[in-house]
Amino acid sequence: MSDHEERLAESLSALMDGESTELETHRILKEVGTESGVKDSVLSKWQRYHMASSVMSGDPVANIDFSAAISAAIDEEETHRINPIQRFAGSAGRFAIAASVAMVAVLGMQQFNTVAPSSSDAVQFAEVAVDAAQQNNGPAIQFPSGFQPNIQARTVSAGGNNRVSQQPVMPAIQVRPVLNQQYSEQELRAYLNDIMLKHSSHAALNSNQGMLPFARVTKSEEAASFAEGSYAEGSSDD
Amino acid sequence: MLVKWLKNIKLAALIAAVFVHGPLFAEPMDSAQDLMARMAKASKELSYKGLFTYEFRGNLTSVKVVHIVRDGQTYERIVHMDGPEREIVRRGDDMDCMRASDMLLRGNVLKINDDSYSHLQDFYSFYIRGDARIAGRAVSVVNVIPKDKFRYGYIVAIDKETGLMLQSILINSQGKPMERFQFVDVSIGADLDNVEFTSELSASDDIDVDQSDCLKANQPVNVSSSQWVPKWLPPGFVLSSYQPVDAEGQESLMYTDGLAVFSVFIDSAEKSRRLPPVDANLGATVAVLTKTSLNNQQYAICVVGEIPRSTASQIANAISPLLASPSP
Repeated sequence: MSDHEERLAESLSALMDGESTELETHRILKEVGTESGVKDSVLSKWQRYHMASSVMSGDPVANIDFSAAISAAIDEEETHRINPIQRFAGSAGRFAIAASVAMVAVLGMQQFNTVAPSSSDAVQFAEVAVDAAQQNNGPAIQFPSGFQPNIQARTVSAGGNNRVSQQPVMPAIQVRPVLNQQYSEQELRAYLNDIMLKHSSHAALNSNQGMLPFARVTKSEEAASFAEGSYAEGSSDD
Repeated sequence: MLVKWLKNIKLAALIAAVFVHGPLFAEPMDSAQDLMARMAKASKELSYKGLFTYEFRGNLTSVKVVHIVRDGQTYERIVHMDGPEREIVRRGDDMDCMRASDMLLRGNVLKINDDSYSHLQDFYSFYIRGDARIAGRAVSVVNVIPKDKFRYGYIVAIDKETGLMLQSILINSQGKPMERFQFVDVSIGADLDNVEFTSELSASDDIDVDQSDCLKANQPVNVSSSQWVPKWLPPGFVLSSYQPVDAEGQESLMYTDGLAVFSVFIDSAEKSRRLPPVDANLGATVAVLTKTSLNNQQYAICVVGEIPRSTASQIANAISPLLASPSP
């Protein structure tokens, strides 16, 4: 018995026990279809196995082959014709479902893309504020006109200056100087204020936001004079 | 045979459906662009006054604004309502003066140099997010999403009736808001015709309006007198203004992509040269200051703008002398 036949026999007995895999079932059906005039065919084996199992379980045994008669009966059966319109309706229905799914997918993607950058702005502003609070460990209040060095080494005490506490917490510029002090804080601040104002002036003309960019500039005469008071010592002013 | 034919029909129908629906989805994007163009026009041509808030990082300031167009000239004034008194007045801007951003926001294509062009649509996507109500007025909200990492995104709310922008939120690359302008009260149009344009405060900054940067027939801004040139610029940014070296030794180059704006200041003044290299930010505005030298002269180069810090540093490092000259 060849390997192939052996495997086939195994598959066959598995099928009889209802334990064959799909692959095995297919293999057997294929074999049944192709073989004709083979001595020990799968079909005859199938009959033999069943007879043996019937004998062992004491069932009545009859060596009758119904298969030919059933095949003949199927052949004689009248073919039920399929209405082409019905068939089209069926496939149209399926197409409609597929199209709907595609549409939902496309729409969904559009929505997804659109919504992504902006859900609940108010909440996010709050989050940003928290982030900022965590990052700004420098003394925000002591630096007027919105500029704040972000290094602890140059912390300047506010002293008892009342105007400091009245100052709203201004936009904090975080500054990371690299060189050592060959300049005064004021100069840096004045310079940044100056270019900020020039930039805003330009932005107001060129960003289509009208005068809005000027809102970013928080510098004022008062703030500037306050800065001088704060850094009275050691300022090498021009 | 019939089945195969039907299959082909199905496929064709599916393809047809996709193509037929394509324009339906594209349409809102077009009209978002139209809204932006309308906004650009409205911001120049409308008279309005109102109160708006400026918010960032949990700080809120309120500002009063008056913008009057009379005889083709604009008069503008903003007054800070909180903190130290501050007023900025700008008058006499020609309404017909079209600057680079006006052109860009209206959908025009501007030439950057011989082989690159700026077109707003190439660098931002526009989506209409829906309707809302701001300052008691019905608005359309438009999401403006950048297509690269060199610029920020925006959410703008545009008044349905007049096209005036009533809200603008700057959005960073993580989709978080960085700053917000929002009107709380605004009156637009006719009742402003007889408003006297006077200064409210004694101390006010009168800002000169520079009209040298008005574009004439798509002519680029003249920078022939500058000895500096950026070797790299974020794509889509065009030179919108150039100020030659002033008495204090400062010259400036200003760029816009239609929405975002940044300025480059090049300083040779003694006090500027003493400044350290600095990396600063004020809310959404960054300032990056670097040093360089040309002909034994120290220069401070400062890039300021509402752009990501990495973009600003990249620009600052790319500013170079126009002519290769020996460094000391």
